[in-house]
Amino acid sequence: MCMLRNIHKHPYHTVNHYGPNLKMTELDFTDLDHSVDPSLSSNLSKDLSGKTIVFSRYDEKSHIPIGKYGSQTALINPEAITPIKCIQEPTLVAAVDSSSIRIAETESGCLYAIKCGVAFATNGQPLMHFKLGPILFYLSEETVKKSELDYRIANLVLFDVEYAKRLIRIQIERAIQTYLSNHLSNSIILVDGSLNASPFENRGRNIKKIAENCSIRRNVLFGISKSTSFRVLSKISAALIQSANAAYMNIQVIIQSLSRTTIGDNFLVKFGSRDSPILRVDIACCDDLISHSLGKLVANDSVAGGYPETLRLAHHVSTLTNMEVSCLKAYLLSNFDITQLESEDIRKTLLGSITR
Amino acid sequence: MKVLSKNSDELVLLAMVSDIVRKGDYLLIEDEKLNRKMIVQIYDEDYLSSQTLIEDIVRDEVINASSAENLHDPLNIGKLSRMIRDARLFRTKIRGTIDTSGRMSSDFTWIPSRVQSKIRRLSIPELDDYVGRTGNFPIKIGKTRGDNEEFDIYADDLDGKLNIVTGKKECGKSHLAKILIKRLVEHGAFVVVFDLNDEYSGLAINHDGLPSSLADQIKVLQCGDGLTFSLKYCGKVAISNVLKNALDTPAASMREFFRIWDWLDNKDCLNIDAFGRAVNTWSVNELVRDALVSRFHIIQGSGLFLQNHGEGVRFENIFSKGTGAAIVVCMAKVTPIVRRMIVELILNKLVDLLENEIIPPIFLFAEEAHLYLRDTYWEDITSRMRHFGICPTFITNQPDAIGDVIYRQVDNIFLFNFTNDVDLDRISRVSLADNDTIRSIVKTLPHQHCLAIGKMVSDLPVVVEVAELETLALGETRKFFSRHVGHGF
Repeated sequence: MCMLRNIHKHPYHTVNHYGPNLKMTELDFTDLDHSVDPSLSSNLSKDLSGKTIVFSRYDEKSHIPIGKYGSQTALINPEAITPIKCIQEPTLVAAVDSSSIRIAETESGCLYAIKCGVAFATNGQPLMHFKLGPILFYLSEETVKKSELDYRIANLVLFDVEYAKRLIRIQIERAIQTYLSNHLSNSIILVDGSLNASPFENRGRNIKKIAENCSIRRNVLFGISKSTSFRVLSKISAALIQSANAAYMNIQVIIQSLSRTTIGDNFLVKFGSRDSPILRVDIACCDDLISHSLGKLVANDSVAGGYPETLRLAHHVSTLTNMEVSCLKAYLLSNFDITQLESEDIRKTLLGSITR
Repeated sequence: MKVLSKNSDELVLLAMVSDIVRKGDYLLIEDEKLNRKMIVQIYDEDYLSSQTLIEDIVRDEVINASSAENLHDPLNIGKLSRMIRDARLFRTKIRGTIDTSGRMSSDFTWIPSRVQSKIRRLSIPELDDYVGRTGNFPIKIGKTRGDNEEFDIYADDLDGKLNIVTGKKECGKSHLAKILIKRLVEHGAFVVVFDLNDEYSGLAINHDGLPSSLADQIKVLQCGDGLTFSLKYCGKVAISNVLKNALDTPAASMREFFRIWDWLDNKDCLNIDAFGRAVNTWSVNELVRDALVSRFHIIQGSGLFLQNHGEGVRFENIFSKGTGAAIVVCMAKVTPIVRRMIVELILNKLVDLLENEIIPPIFLFAEEAHLYLRDTYWEDITSRMRHFGICPTFITNQPDAIGDVIYRQVDNIFLFNFTNDVDLDRISRVSLADNDTIRSIVKTLPHQHCLAIGKMVSDLPVVVEVAELETLALGETRKFFSRHVGHGF
């Protein structure tokens, strides 16, 4: 490793020194692991011994262990969980989801497509669903200038595709959620993800405003996350994992300590029986007892797979398919005065076809 | 439509729902840049399919089955998506290219541009122009499918040729045969029909019960009613062939038969009574006598021969008229052995008359040929028929009953619907068109539609909707329950 440091310190000298006469034996990287921060431990045998493990995958984010980690047993507190009982009270359940992708790029901006799904159910049966879109949005310096958002946030979306897609999704979902919260009453509105305020929200259509509308019209707003970045939650979920029936536990203290932008009350919920996943659920505007609202949700939406069917339907309805993407491209080519340029996958070109 | 891919002599074309063409249709692919044209025929169609497309369709169906859908699709992308789901692939066979002189050739050394090519449906008259298909004696057999234009074949292309009309039962084979016979007689041709179901006599009667325009030219013969011959007219060869091929007479008995025949001929008393007496009194081995006596009783019982020196049927009298004529030999009510005797006798006599140029060449229609086609003599006759001047047309629903020797001589096939793979295999193995075309098109042919293959269509298969018959069709299936319709059975 010392050699390596020297190379960095005196690049000109060392390049000349090693140059064309470089021999493999003159470079020594064996001390590489000692040259990084001590937090990046390399004593794997000591650190991993006796642990249970779930391997991560490149392409999928939300892998959870089937069963529980070994360390979870120590934290089980059966008294912390509350069972969920079905409350047979006819209530409309509405779920919203969306998906967005980048369709094309021009010299001055990017074109995005979004598709939304809104699904309704009551008495455990699906009622109907709305497929909204695909709708196209073009983000460029010109369009961003008109934004109500903070100019730094607005500019950020020009440089980062993921932020841009998130901006579009948040904007459209909030618009639909605002509409639903204004038009429904005594209903349950399900949102995919936590009830977090986002910098991409507009002032008039943000999660707080939606929660206010829900409160006025006696709607209950649920934010249901399929996965969470708070790893601590998986550690305290052992009691729920062992629960044979639907149950929930309050995690308000933990969430409030980790995030100040979350609204409503925060829970870990198991909607189904023994093998159902544990989900983080944020609940806002709930005048009744939490168990009452969860009971109404379980009774009015099918949660057979441990996840509300309306949200699942909304997700499937909102998924942009390859065919729709092809159709959008065909639509653009045939309806606008644009010229398609040939393109190449620079990553594949540089790294070769076997790269991931 | 666009060219999508090529494999050997096949082109795959991409088409949308708005492209209205069907299996069997011809398409002209014009490559404007190369200034060349290619003629292809659609033999199969399929959906444009990919794994993602199927997944999309399945997912949409599952979603729509679980919940009623409301769409808000401002860009109308759903319409495009539906178009793609309904997009079709046409598998076509390259039939030829058009050279600079505008004539068809088999130069497949180029492929049309995917980008520049324009594809359009080719009408049959246009196709005829390209291949130069023409003739002097048109036979209007129906309409081409799709553009509903009248479709003619030419009697010239049937003349001196071996033709087969085949397909499963009740699909219109006899119907087409009757059209062919009618038009041939109208053109002045002479036709002999072996009619197994007593249905061709209807050619003499119109739908309204009045005599048809051919009434005077149709001669219906049946056992006991006109179909009788004198032994002398039939001749030694014909009768001996009846004994040998139809009645399976042993060789030793045949030798005695020749002696008896010569003896009666020398005495100038060749009639059935004298023949019977001679057989019974002839000095010969008992076994031979028994064989000859038993054959004599069959011959006598058949009613085909005059008891004395009467005239009987003389083909040359019917076929020597200036106008065309058709002899319909009804074999509906005779036993299989008599049926074989009739066929053997008539064929031998016709060959004799043709060889001696007493009658002009004739067209022979053999209905349900599989019931009396026998390897022993038909194949021999078939292979030499055109030299005699007999142009046979076999009509059968059992393609496997016709031997390979006959199939190899075939010039034209009218192929009706077959769904059985074994039958299709048989046909496609020996037919004049490629296997893919036969299998795909024929399986989906509707009632009274046929695929015309062979010289009559310049070896370019054409799907034809067979025309209605102006005369009585007869030959329909007799049904028990049809008697009770309207009678409150």
